[in-house]
Amino acid sequence: MIILFVVLPLIVAGILPLVGKVSRRVLPDLLANATLLALLVFAAVAGRPLIAGGPVLQQLSWLGEAVNLRLALDGFSLLMLLAVSLVGLAASLFSIDYMEHYGAKANYYALYLVMIAGMNGLILSRDLFSVYVFLEVAAVASYALVAFGLGHDELEAAFKYLMLSVVASAFLVAGIAVIFGMTGHLDFAAVAAGLKELNAVPVMAIASAFFLLGFGLKAALIPFHAWLPDAHPSAPAPISAVLSGLLIKVSGVYAMARIFLNVFGLTPALSTVLMWLGVISLVVAAFLALGQKDMKRMLAYSSISQVGYVVLGIGIGTPLGIAGGLFHLFNHALAKGLLFLTSGSVQQATGTRDLDAMGGLAKRMPVTAATNLVGSLSIAGVPPLNGFWSKLLIIMALVQAHHPAFAVVAVLASVLTLWYYLIIQRKAFFGQLNAKWAAVKEAPFWMTAATVLLAVLCVGIGILFSLTVTTWIQPAADVLADGIHAVTGSWGF
Amino acid sequence: MILQTALLIGVVIFSVLAILLRDLLKSAIALAAASLLLGIIFFRMNAPYAGVFEISVVAGLITVLFVLTIALTKTGEEVRESRLVKWAFPLVFIAFIVVDALVMKSLLGQVPALAAGAESGSFGEVLWRARTYDLVGQIAVILAGVFSVLALFRKREKHD
Repeated sequence: MIILFVVLPLIVAGILPLVGKVSRRVLPDLLANATLLALLVFAAVAGRPLIAGGPVLQQLSWLGEAVNLRLALDGFSLLMLLAVSLVGLAASLFSIDYMEHYGAKANYYALYLVMIAGMNGLILSRDLFSVYVFLEVAAVASYALVAFGLGHDELEAAFKYLMLSVVASAFLVAGIAVIFGMTGHLDFAAVAAGLKELNAVPVMAIASAFFLLGFGLKAALIPFHAWLPDAHPSAPAPISAVLSGLLIKVSGVYAMARIFLNVFGLTPALSTVLMWLGVISLVVAAFLALGQKDMKRMLAYSSISQVGYVVLGIGIGTPLGIAGGLFHLFNHALAKGLLFLTSGSVQQATGTRDLDAMGGLAKRMPVTAATNLVGSLSIAGVPPLNGFWSKLLIIMALVQAHHPAFAVVAVLASVLTLWYYLIIQRKAFFGQLNAKWAAVKEAPFWMTAATVLLAVLCVGIGILFSLTVTTWIQPAADVLADGIHAVTGSWGF
Repeated sequence: MILQTALLIGVVIFSVLAILLRDLLKSAIALAAASLLLGIIFFRMNAPYAGVFEISVVAGLITVLFVLTIALTKTGEEVRESRLVKWAFPLVFIAFIVVDALVMKSLLGQVPALAAGAESGSFGEVLWRARTYDLVGQIAVILAGVFSVLALFRKREKHD
């Protein structure tokens, strides 16, 4: 019953506003978190046995009649479902205390669950148009969540995000129309088989360009990144965590990788374009991050830079590169989710996001400071944390595929990453305690619990990295490395 | 063919007007006109359902909403827009048309004939049988829209 990943959050979202009339806080907190916990258990425990015998393809029946509700679950989608439920649960736990002062909590959780359902729906779909529909589901919910604080900045950021996101959707629909016009199909397997048969290179190039623009905007790769540094910092902290940790990866990287590698087949030209986009993003965004004074804005630029690593890894197209890219995607989801949550704790305690105004907060907020340090070092790629292993895999893959120049750039950008994360750590947490913050207290229980959960995962995955790679990452990478055979072969066409 | 071309040119002209006109009311009406012509094109291309939805929802309902919203707003201070937009948009538009005229014809020649795939069938069959999963998505989009309105138009509570 993999449809539960979509339907369960939707049903709970549907009843939440009604529940909110009865109980303003406790029941919405409980329902939303229980839903995400159920999804996490489903993905983590039941997922792997389900796909042990190959990808699961479901065709459901409705009142005894077969309907075309067709879903697919394979190694790649399972990894993404796990990431969504894991970071989704952490952000939702964090919301219990953090969203208290925003009001309208039931409404907030309803939108949040619709966004989760949208992402899960996209991950499970096996058809180009469904990808577009669910991408919009997640996007529409996220516009409202970015603006949830209703302040001037929030509304402006949400509007900018909406505008650029609509442009992305327009390009995606144009790309889908071109593909449908050529093949007469929308189903991944049928499109892959049709494109292989047709071999119409120029039209394929146009469709690829449309998808690249669309997904590039969604993933905020440079030069399509303008919306992200506004949208992500303005949102409430748990939403920033989900947007940076999950949404840009599901609606940008996942969809792009699925379509380019499994449906189109990665051509050398496409591989080169992806690698260049990745390298430009990771270098330029790292420099842009260095100059930021706003803590969350720095994290937002860092997200662009790290997505650059992911795209670079997947773009190499070798099994090792893809595994490295996907592992980094997963690690970054955890670590960036963690960092946006700790930045939320800091913002709530001090009321500012300005790094220059902070200082010495480690004395008052030791747990937040420690978890923030774990997240920072993990993204910067310091051993033995999880981010180190994924970056190592990407760099090894670059060397193996004879791209030593890219490998050197990736290493140097990693040093830059460490630099700006140490700036955050030093300015916010270390040094003399700013007298203004003498009365600051550690964040409330659920907020700390959520950050500790993610920090423990960052350390744990770093220590048990080979186990993680073999159980979760490798099956996902195999699907992508298999190219179009993954869908034409086993997806029943 | 001539009628078709005239309709298409009409869609483009009214869409451009919708962007360039300074008066919001005129802009909304230009958009409605563009959508009306698009609806007629859908009818002529044998897609009556798309035509009906385009005309009733986009040309009708949404225009009414736009006009109502504009009627509710007051004229405030004139917002100066960047001069760049005035120059950039027509330039990009002309460049697009030139590229379109040069490239599209040869590209269209390479598009293979549309194969009748699994997606063909009557409107009802396609909507309820072939695209059932999208219906779940549609429900989710509507939910997202309703919750967004509830969230964005709620009474503001104090927060920092």
